[in-house]
Amino acid sequence: MNSGYTLVICEKPDAARRVSDALSGGSARTEEVNGTAIYRFDRRGEEFVVCAAQGHLYGVSDPSDERAVYPVFDVEWYSSDLLDEDSANAARRISAVRTLAARASKFVNACDFDVEGETIGYNLLRYACGGKEKDALRAKFSTLTGEDLVKAFDEMKPQQGQGLARAGRARHAIDFVWGVNLSRALSQSALGSGHRYRTVSIGRVQGPTLGFLVQREREIREFVPVPYWKASGTFEKEGKKFTAGYAEDRIETKPFAGNVRDECAGKEATAAAVRRNSVQVGPPVPFNIGDLQKEAYRAFGYTPTRTMQIAERLYLGALISYPRTGSQRLPPSINYMRILRGIGKLPQYSIYADELMKSEPKPVQGAKSDPAHPAIHPTGENQNRALDASEATVFDLVVRRFLAAFGPSARRELTDVSLAVGEHRFRLSGGRTVFPGWMKYYGRFAGYRDVELPPVSEGDRFRVVDVVVEEKFEQRPSRFNQSSLLEKMEKEGIGTKATRADIIATLVGRGYVSAESMEVTELGLSVIEALTKYAPTIVSTQLTREIEEKLEGVESEGAGEASLLRETVRSITNQLAELSANEESVGREIDSALMSAVAKSFVLGKCPVCKTGDLRVIRSKTTKKRFVGCSNYFKGCRASVPLPQRGTIKATPKACEHCSWPIVDVTGGRRLWRLCINPECPRKRP
Amino acid sequence: MKCSLCERDGVSGLCPYHEAAKARVKATYPLWVKAYGGMDWKDYLDNVKRNIQTGQWAKEIAQFLKGD
Repeated sequence: MNSGYTLVICEKPDAARRVSDALSGGSARTEEVNGTAIYRFDRRGEEFVVCAAQGHLYGVSDPSDERAVYPVFDVEWYSSDLLDEDSANAARRISAVRTLAARASKFVNACDFDVEGETIGYNLLRYACGGKEKDALRAKFSTLTGEDLVKAFDEMKPQQGQGLARAGRARHAIDFVWGVNLSRALSQSALGSGHRYRTVSIGRVQGPTLGFLVQREREIREFVPVPYWKASGTFEKEGKKFTAGYAEDRIETKPFAGNVRDECAGKEATAAAVRRNSVQVGPPVPFNIGDLQKEAYRAFGYTPTRTMQIAERLYLGALISYPRTGSQRLPPSINYMRILRGIGKLPQYSIYADELMKSEPKPVQGAKSDPAHPAIHPTGENQNRALDASEATVFDLVVRRFLAAFGPSARRELTDVSLAVGEHRFRLSGGRTVFPGWMKYYGRFAGYRDVELPPVSEGDRFRVVDVVVEEKFEQRPSRFNQSSLLEKMEKEGIGTKATRADIIATLVGRGYVSAESMEVTELGLSVIEALTKYAPTIVSTQLTREIEEKLEGVESEGAGEASLLRETVRSITNQLAELSANEESVGREIDSALMSAVAKSFVLGKCPVCKTGDLRVIRSKTTKKRFVGCSNYFKGCRASVPLPQRGTIKATPKACEHCSWPIVDVTGGRRLWRLCINPECPRKRP
Repeated sequence: MKCSLCERDGVSGLCPYHEAAKARVKATYPLWVKAYGGMDWKDYLDNVKRNIQTGQWAKEIAQFLKGD
């Protein structure tokens, strides 16, 4: 009989602490193993030890790690510290789990129940616990509240099929071989053009996503607007004036627009038709992660990545349910009444919660479901710490959306009046909310405006005060913003709810699009141009979507990943053959954009001394130290300042308000400093 | 052969992007003529070049066609 303890593996340290508190009733002891905090306690006569990963502790790479070598199809899992110098903690955490596993008799995977969480738990159980991935029990939960955690551990079961972990591991392997081979092929092509090695990267989902952005960029840059005219009239009845637009929203020719003005001015209008309509507006469906990201962008301008990070923090604080969900449904098992009672303790929501609890609450349900988690909802737990401003806004949005889902439909009264002036028709539209229903709960996020009209009946007469005709031009298409791009990816079925925001951030990080306006750079255009010409499959959505669908099949059936990997290898081999056959042309297409991107990355801003030169990062041939100098050096400008010798320096569009020298971002490890590069800046003087 | 308006390669003096923009500028001219009830080609190019909605490549083409 083995007398060891039960080792519980959580995904993050905060989750480990919450699991320990919930299972021990707050009596867990904190200890340190290999520099990592763990929790130990007894529960019903059984000893438990709870430890945590910190996201992925293992990653895929190729054993050779030669950046010039491709194709690469033999991949292995390695601890993350060997793959990324920013993951130094991974070795310490793995070592702690390995030490703890030696004396454990039972293992529990308590990572988040989704593809990434399953993969994190599976890898630790397999590599750090000596092949325990099949023997471990699974604790599944959607919130980190005490009640849900206790229930999850009371009901934990042996893992079955492990489809999520298989799909997760397959996704990591596919994305690695896809990205590493095609990126190396592109980088080698550029190298062939005679310059030193520069990484040109492309990924399985990055390619089609950049393709969407480039297609839109071309539409914008090729755009020629067509003119049209808009007419509106000011009408008067019983001393009250109001404005109505011409019935045709767009008048195609200038002569006709002139006719409208000339034939209506000074005439009398008659209300030819008055239509009143009462419409029901149903409540919005509960949030899945995509909906939350879009709504937070609309309401607060938060990027999808930022919203995801905030939602993660709220989840780890047990304030909202697991956010990486595709579900728009709230099952009764989450216990509506318990959550409403909890929310009701917060003064700003108490009236609404009390109101909803007067009858049996029943939420509206959306069409999308997720077998692992319900839609995002508040847990009803007390806030155990003060929320920062961004957390408070997202929490308010989640709570109000939850409350709104239980609200009755709103009713709006719409009025449409057609005013006739001879042959011409003007249209007056108004609307008001007569019963707010769910809008009351959703508050400022509901987004309906009242437009009141004067009382009008058919046959009423009005004086035409004046008619104004305006020349307009078609608007060029708008660039995607981070939210609309996320929506496009979702619609096209590429990426996953957990990865889409990161892929957008990667495209920005690679220098293919600018972060602010999402404008595609020359490098982004050139990469897509070359790929479209020589390896079009890489940028087509079809193959990426097919792979996503097959990965979903692996998730649900727990099999099929080997054949999917073989198919992927075949597909990549074909793409590589096309790229290799055209290496010279591909290199030529990318090269000049790459060089211009590299040159741009050295420019920090305009020189405040000579006003015409660019301040560039230069490395001294003698000292090897970097500094800033002006491009007009040979024309006599001696502007020059030292730079920090460590970290990555990135230009920002800003100049210092005190001295006009450029402001730069310096990143080192996980820290970021924003500073004025001028050591003599008046602001820095004591 | 380099494009007359940028660094990219082109077949007949323009890269594919500027070639597409040129086709667009030409195709839109009849719509402007109809909208204003008549317009000279050069006036049209002037207007396209000045319009804030016109895309960057279309502006460059308008200037190029005008021979500025």
